Amino acid sequence: MKKLVYLYIVLMACISCDDYLDIKPVGQVIPSSVEDYRSFLTSAYSITNLGNVLTTYRSDELQLDTDSPGIEQYADIYIWNDDNPSPLTRSFPYSSFYSIIFYCNHIIENRNEITGDSGAIDELVGEAYALRAMQYFNLVNLYAKPYDTATAGQNPAVPIVTKYETDVEYPVSSLQEVYDLILDDLNRAEDLINVDKQEVGLNYRFSTEAVKAFQARVYLYQNEWQKAIDHANAALNIHSELQDLNADASRMPSEYNSVESILALETVASFDTANNTSISDDLTGIYDQSADLRFDLYFRPISGGRFRSKKNADTKYKVSYRTSELYLIKAEAFVRLGQTEAATSSLLELAKHRYTPEGFATYQQHIETLNEEELLSAILEERRREFAMEGHRWFDLRRTTQPKITKTYDGQRYTLEKNDERYSIPIPNDAIINNPNL
Amino acid sequence: MKNLLYLVIFIPILTTAQQKQKLVSGTVVDAAMNMPIPGASVYISSSMVGSKAKEEGVLDGAMLGTTTDFDGHFELRIDDTVKSLLVSYMGFKTKTIDVSGAATDLTIVLEESTQNLEEVLITGYQKIEKRKATSAYSTIDVSEIQQAGVATVDQMLTGQLPGVLVQPTSGAPGAPSKISIRGTATLNGSSDPLWVLDGIPLEGEDIPKEFRDKDNIDNLQSFPVAGLNPEDIESITVLKDAAATSIYGARAANGVIVITSKSGKKGGMHINASANTFITQKPDYSKLNLMNASQKVDFELFLASREDLTYQKDRGDVARILNTYNSYDTFQNNGFSALDPEVQNAINNLRALNTNWGSELYQMAVNQQYSLSISGGNDQNTYYLSAGIFDEKGSTIGTGQQRYNITLKDNFNLNDDFKVGVSVFASQNKTFSYITGADSYTNPAYYARNANPYLRLTDDEGNYVYDPDLVERSDLNLNYNVLEERRNTSHDLVANSIKSILNAAYDVTEDLHFSTQLGLQFDFNRTEKFSDRNSYYTRKYRQRSQYATPTGDAYFMPDGGIIQNWNTDVFQYNWKSTANYNTTFNNLHELDVMLGTEFRRNKTEEIQTKGFGYNPNTLTTIPITDERVLANSLFDPLNKRYNENAFASFFGTASYTYDRKYTLFSSLRYDGSNLFGVNPKYRYLPIWSVAGSWNIHQESFMDEFREVSNLKVRASYGIQGNIDKSTSPYVLGVYENVSILPGMNEEIIQALGAPNPNLRWEKTTSTNIGLDLGLFDNKVFLVGDYYYRKSTDLIGLRAVPLESGYNFINTNWGTVSNRGFELAINTVNISNTNFKWTSGLNISHNKSIVEDIQIREENFKPSLKGYSANAIFAIKTAGLDSNGLPLFWKDGKKVSAVDFYNLEEGTDGSQLTNQEHRDLYSYVGDGAPLFSGGFRNTFQYKQFDLRILSNFILNQTVQAAPSYYPTLARPGTNYSTEILNAGTGNLPALIGANSPGFNTDLVYNWYNSFDAGRTYDDLDIWVKDMSYIRISSIRLSYALPARHLEKLKLSGLNFNIEGRNLFVFGSDYDGFFDPETYGSLYAQPIPKVISAGFNLTF
Repeated sequence: MKKLVYLYIVLMACISCDDYLDIKPVGQVIPSSVEDYRSFLTSAYSITNLGNVLTTYRSDELQLDTDSPGIEQYADIYIWNDDNPSPLTRSFPYSSFYSIIFYCNHIIENRNEITGDSGAIDELVGEAYALRAMQYFNLVNLYAKPYDTATAGQNPAVPIVTKYETDVEYPVSSLQEVYDLILDDLNRAEDLINVDKQEVGLNYRFSTEAVKAFQARVYLYQNEWQKAIDHANAALNIHSELQDLNADASRMPSEYNSVESILALETVASFDTANNTSISDDLTGIYDQSADLRFDLYFRPISGGRFRSKKNADTKYKVSYRTSELYLIKAEAFVRLGQTEAATSSLLELAKHRYTPEGFATYQQHIETLNEEELLSAILEERRREFAMEGHRWFDLRRTTQPKITKTYDGQRYTLEKNDERYSIPIPNDAIINNPNL
Repeated sequence: MKNLLYLVIFIPILTTAQQKQKLVSGTVVDAAMNMPIPGASVYISSSMVGSKAKEEGVLDGAMLGTTTDFDGHFELRIDDTVKSLLVSYMGFKTKTIDVSGAATDLTIVLEESTQNLEEVLITGYQKIEKRKATSAYSTIDVSEIQQAGVATVDQMLTGQLPGVLVQPTSGAPGAPSKISIRGTATLNGSSDPLWVLDGIPLEGEDIPKEFRDKDNIDNLQSFPVAGLNPEDIESITVLKDAAATSIYGARAANGVIVITSKSGKKGGMHINASANTFITQKPDYSKLNLMNASQKVDFELFLASREDLTYQKDRGDVARILNTYNSYDTFQNNGFSALDPEVQNAINNLRALNTNWGSELYQMAVNQQYSLSISGGNDQNTYYLSAGIFDEKGSTIGTGQQRYNITLKDNFNLNDDFKVGVSVFASQNKTFSYITGADSYTNPAYYARNANPYLRLTDDEGNYVYDPDLVERSDLNLNYNVLEERRNTSHDLVANSIKSILNAAYDVTEDLHFSTQLGLQFDFNRTEKFSDRNSYYTRKYRQRSQYATPTGDAYFMPDGGIIQNWNTDVFQYNWKSTANYNTTFNNLHELDVMLGTEFRRNKTEEIQTKGFGYNPNTLTTIPITDERVLANSLFDPLNKRYNENAFASFFGTASYTYDRKYTLFSSLRYDGSNLFGVNPKYRYLPIWSVAGSWNIHQESFMDEFREVSNLKVRASYGIQGNIDKSTSPYVLGVYENVSILPGMNEEIIQALGAPNPNLRWEKTTSTNIGLDLGLFDNKVFLVGDYYYRKSTDLIGLRAVPLESGYNFINTNWGTVSNRGFELAINTVNISNTNFKWTSGLNISHNKSIVEDIQIREENFKPSLKGYSANAIFAIKTAGLDSNGLPLFWKDGKKVSAVDFYNLEEGTDGSQLTNQEHRDLYSYVGDGAPLFSGGFRNTFQYKQFDLRILSNFILNQTVQAAPSYYPTLARPGTNYSTEILNAGTGNLPALIGANSPGFNTDLVYNWYNSFDAGRTYDDLDIWVKDMSYIRISSIRLSYALPARHLEKLKLSGLNFNIEGRNLFVFGSDYDGFFDPETYGSLYAQPIPKVISAGFNLTF
């Protein structure tokens, strides 16, 4: 009898073993439902980096003083000292982009395994494509040469990773290949995403409008002017409002809850940019401080007649795309196509919302006198004013004229020559150490 | 099933004899000394212990027994039919006496059972007759190594078992000993052995790998054996090779320590009481070689006189006096004599202020230890009950440990075939210590080294004087006073533990036995850290809630104390069932087969709470409402952690012995554990071993070597494995909360570590060859073992291309081998009527070699490949140049620091690639000792018993923290007097940015700012070879002679005095308290203890 009991126990034990061992740890999960994967993608959205902040140091928007706290983290970026920067220098982001790409790849790879509402799955996968495209776009604009159709096929960019594997090589792809991937991802995103416009608070997520705005920006960077105009128009068809600073100056137009917001994802400012830098004379000099309503909204005066940016690390300043950019993309693309009238009209539409009525009248008069070349400069200058401290400047300098820039720091003059090699940032050391292909 | 009811019935079953009776009487004496043995058990047994000891003439019937009195005399009335009696006493061979005829005034001579020749090896799963044992193990009776004033058994093992390296982590009460058995088989995981109590593996926290790290050393934790009273332990068996440990599965990769607790013995009731008072000596503070006030004043004057060394012009009392009188420059330019006499006096007065830090921080403590046990039994039931109190105050003021134990064991023979047993081990263990913050410079051991010798702790009115030199940064001093801190803070851990074990065994036939065992462990650990509002800890914590407002700095932490609690509940059950089949046929073949299953589940729940604005009188806290708190996890009011694991295992062993000479053994075990995220192909892990032994002395050709009483060779081979459960082939996520845009808070799933579908088990193969040799009737007994263990596919983090989305991935990348030998010799040197001298010597050697490893490219230190897992690398210096700057060896030539490090103007560390940086280092020695062991001597002379225990470490390379930094001689802290010799011998001179000398500024900048790999810490001048022998215990005891005992109506009374850790011989360990903790600035001294006590039996 006893023997049988034992036999029974042992047998039962064997059969129910897998159940016995099946413990789901609290707080841990293998994502399976669309809700899980949504949380997973939100994780990717929540990874931030200081790329846009650091390029601001590198561009011509700031002036640094040697006695500002923490200056040693930024000084060598400021003076383009890439060869032997101080060990304390902040590193440009690299792994955080690929970390986001890992999340996106995982969602894209497993799209057929995700359970739940198919519309929600499409939306999710579409966003993953768009978010991935955004990472590659930022990577190439930091680390590769600016896009040029003639040379993009030869210019090395960064490795393309579209799925997770262990023990594989990561060779560098050409700039053309990366741009092709970006556009391909955006097309897929466009097909899949079914939310035209995200509501405020969720507008860190990609929407159809955000994808179109992003496409417009990509084409602008590729000098594909007509395509840039078309996609900007497509985005504006969904929503085209501009914040009229004459009526509402309670917030910056770049803030996440401004009527202009299309995507509020990227961090563009930090505690240090708000408190330990001042705005370069070069930048403050291009504003008409009395007529331009942006000036007081963007900047605050400090002693010595200098100004600081009001944008700080607060998440409300997150921004990626907004309607003003579409107007400026259109203006720039039209003028490059020789369509000055359309360009002027697009520029003035934005300017009307930025200047006092009197200021606008003067501005309009001035714009209408410009020839094609002058108009392009005016548009680019307006772009600089509109997007001050918003992470656009370095990329704009790169893709347009790559001008000579001089800065004075600690009594010394530093120059970034026209078309200087240093318009591309060297890939960070920790990435090179781990990947011999770089 | 009904029989189970008996489990809860704890009433000894007494039966009385009804039949015709006769009287048996006699005296029990020991063979060696011919002395009477009091307390020996004399009893009748119906079923005799031992596998095939069937004796004729033993009848079923009432169990009856008695114990001998003080003269070794006994009288017993027994049934007329009883033909034989058993006489037993601990440490002696049990004897069967024929009482079929007249049996009065018998003289029964008991022979001592020689060490290492006890009958069985207890593995926790089965009892193996030693003659059939094939594996490498060591056993020791705790009574042989018992020391007064030692709370846990792990410390007593130091140096007592070959192949088992036991190192104290610190002298703090409750501090665990780090045990490593035959080296380290892992590079990342825990190397702690598995503790098993009466068959049940114990849960508990692992000892941190960097256990002397400042972040670990002041943590109070509950370790597996902390709650066990050594008085309750009968013996310790350490299982070492694969044949011994593989039955324990994956958890046994680091070896197994099996604790066998005391049980009641058949016979009359024994009551044993013991009491000890032990006095912990105040440590010798002068061992630290610190400067006294006068030396320190001179040192500060020296610094102030050197324009190049005055980078901290406002630190130290001398500088403060000079600054107060505006005389700093006068002194620097014109010397001490140029100072105003008033200033001179003020400075000279400091010399007289010698605060006795040794007495402020350390103490002599008087402590107690009591225990009481009641045990006994009859044929149906044996019982053991004990209670113990251990109360220790540490030599560091404010530390201590209090433990209360109750142990209860009861075994019932419900009938001839069915036995059940129950044990309960309950304990409360309270450890208390000081509180230290994130940076441990408030650790008393550390502070004692750094506090200025003239610093007063209280002023004339008794107010606390805050250390003006313990500052956070130049503009912030949060006021630290060690007395205030001690008074206004507390840190304690109360560990309540209940371990209970239920056993049942059923003999189906003579050959087939079933047994099952259920072990339950409940641990409730409560840690509390309290700091009052007036404490440095609180002030420092509050500092972290600082924020700027237009009107100045503000703090969101409310005013008041801080109370932090960690409550941990641990529950585990372990249920194992085995079937044993043991048979003998043809008197030649013996077969032992065991099959079994084991199921284990453990749950850990931890809740951490923090309260701020705590008022210790009202016991209330104040909630923090400021929203800034949300961004600062330091102020999280509550954190919860929950963890559950399950294990299912199936195992079997088979052993075959031919002609009592040749034994073959093999074991196999499958371990399964919870599957979440684990690669299904690694769900079950097979662990196996094969082994064999040959009892050569049984061979007929050995007959002519009569002096060889025992000769046996053993060999084993086996494989063990372990899978890393933190790495999965799947993408695992953890839930978190984030707010990406204002006003939105969303649950996210964050990916855990990089998935790796290719991850394999860590595997360790072990080979063992052993020899047991007994000479002269085992008066000399030698056990030697040689082993080779190779661990392959060790899991560790490897850097991967960042493009993968990760920085590191867990992969199989390491191979480590350990080889070594162990030798234990136990001898009875002299044995006659009045005098007996026995010794035990053991020595072990282990050499580990990391055969394969990948290092991170950014590492500053060389790869361990080809070296010991504990290899120490250092930078070889070659004396000093004329400016006192260190010289180095490079390619066989002496070079300056400038050439060695490639220093030039503007050098910022990037002049050396990481590979070049690694190449600066040379291997200087093994951090694990070449030899370790111990030597034990026992002398018995009449009623006196002297026991001397010692342990030794030979040739261990140790690295100390530098006693000073040449580029930062701080006038505000004290130093070892070594700094006074800076610039002579090998000790680099003190330099500043503009010290004289060619390129001194380059060397200064390098060491002061840019030496990111901190190479100065690794100069070979801080490394030394350590060898020492520590006399861990000298114990003298006196047993009251029988004639006195008789008057007192006692069966035994012993008085003992013991000195622990009184002497250490060997390499000097200047600047530190003990050779064991050499190099650690944070460890508490290992206490010297003198104890006196008695042990009473009746």
